[in-house]
Amino acid sequence: MVYYLIVCRSLTYAQRTAKTLERGGISSSMIRTPKSIAKEGCGYGVKIAKKNLEKALSLLQRAELSPKHLYITFGDNSYREVSL
Amino acid sequence: MIYLDSAATSLQKPHCVPKAVSYAMTHMASPGRGGYPASQTAADIIYSCREECGLLFGEEDPSNIVFTSSATHSLNIAIKSLVRPSSTVLISPWEHNAVTRPLHSLPNVTVKVASSPLFQPEATLKAFARCLTPEVDVVVCTHVSNVFGYILPIEDIAILCRQRGVPLIIDASQSAGCLPINQEELQASFIALPGHKGLLGPQGTGVLLCNSRCTRPIMEGGTGSVSRRKTMPPELPERLEAGTANVSGIAGLRAGIRFVRQRGLVSIQSHELKLIQYLGQGISSFARSFLAEDATLQTGVLSFQLINWDCEALATALAQRGFALRAGLHCAPLAHRSAGTLEEGTVRASVSPFTTKQEIDRFIATLSTLWKQGES
Repeated sequence: MVYYLIVCRSLTYAQRTAKTLERGGISSSMIRTPKSIAKEGCGYGVKIAKKNLEKALSLLQRAELSPKHLYITFGDNSYREVSL
Repeated sequence: MIYLDSAATSLQKPHCVPKAVSYAMTHMASPGRGGYPASQTAADIIYSCREECGLLFGEEDPSNIVFTSSATHSLNIAIKSLVRPSSTVLISPWEHNAVTRPLHSLPNVTVKVASSPLFQPEATLKAFARCLTPEVDVVVCTHVSNVFGYILPIEDIAILCRQRGVPLIIDASQSAGCLPINQEELQASFIALPGHKGLLGPQGTGVLLCNSRCTRPIMEGGTGSVSRRKTMPPELPERLEAGTANVSGIAGLRAGIRFVRQRGLVSIQSHELKLIQYLGQGISSFARSFLAEDATLQTGVLSFQLINWDCEALATALAQRGFALRAGLHCAPLAHRSAGTLEEGTVRASVSPFTTKQEIDRFIATLSTLWKQGES
């Protein structure tokens, strides 16, 4: 399944991101950032469906929650960074 | 036992607090350290507690709410973030050792005291206005005196600090859970508060509300994120929360804060004030009590001295009769010096939302008997 992963600066940042999306009507799930893309070591990310990306980024911008990185994955454990 | 030492620790907790602590101890693991449910639940409860704090204290951003082990821990972080060697710091005359000792530990710090009499908010504000001269780098001020229950005009002091561009650290140890504290309005650099007093949480919990770009960790360690970095992450709250969080304590604190919000600060403050006024009036004929003439200037804390009794001997005699109070200097020698009670100390009675009028009646009767007997 294709989805986007919003990589966050910290656990609390990821929690705020997930809450903001939830309040905006976007379902998401918080996961540990896969090791292959956790450049600085352990981290957290928020998974969202492909169709929700535009709305999610708009909600996060309004809440002044800038994602650290954004990745797209096609369900094969490979991640490709998407420029923000 | 009749417990009148809630200014130190609120011993009577709502049932939801120990229940939350117990559940967390057996169901919640390390938050932010794993993707499994027991870790995620712990992370969720901590975040939820940040949100509860935010609602009670007017802090919109949960990232600015840092969990600590106590108000003392919080004050140490705040003071050591803002006060540099050779700084000049202005404090109130009612500060606890949790403020004065960290300041004393920093080299060459000049501490100025905005001296003014007890229960005189206008004089307090004037003293701050007079002493807040250009060389002052930081102001540290308690919201309420832990010895006398005096409510300082913290909103006006915060305005003064903002007007003069000086960062303010507030010690809300005695006001959190019984008086309104709104960070959005106060805009203090830091507000330090304990979890185990008015917020009715367990001991070992504290909170630091941060509104400063300058934060200096006093402890470094794991945060569950950006592990390759050799230094603490720049983001709050993780920057100031090294090591495994006190999950069960924070779960209990969350339950305590929810209770406080449900009961309401106005109801709690009114209940405690009525009891303290009643106590002060009840012992006025045989004790020297520090009761504010204007009731709105005092919380549920009353210091007193019993004629012909040493304060520690009196507290011991009361303990033998089933009353729990604290005597001496209450870790606040500056406050006692300011009130002229440094040599003899006082006995302090402090109430909680669970203290009853019947308990105060029994206390007054016992004090009266002891006064008649005199110290043997």
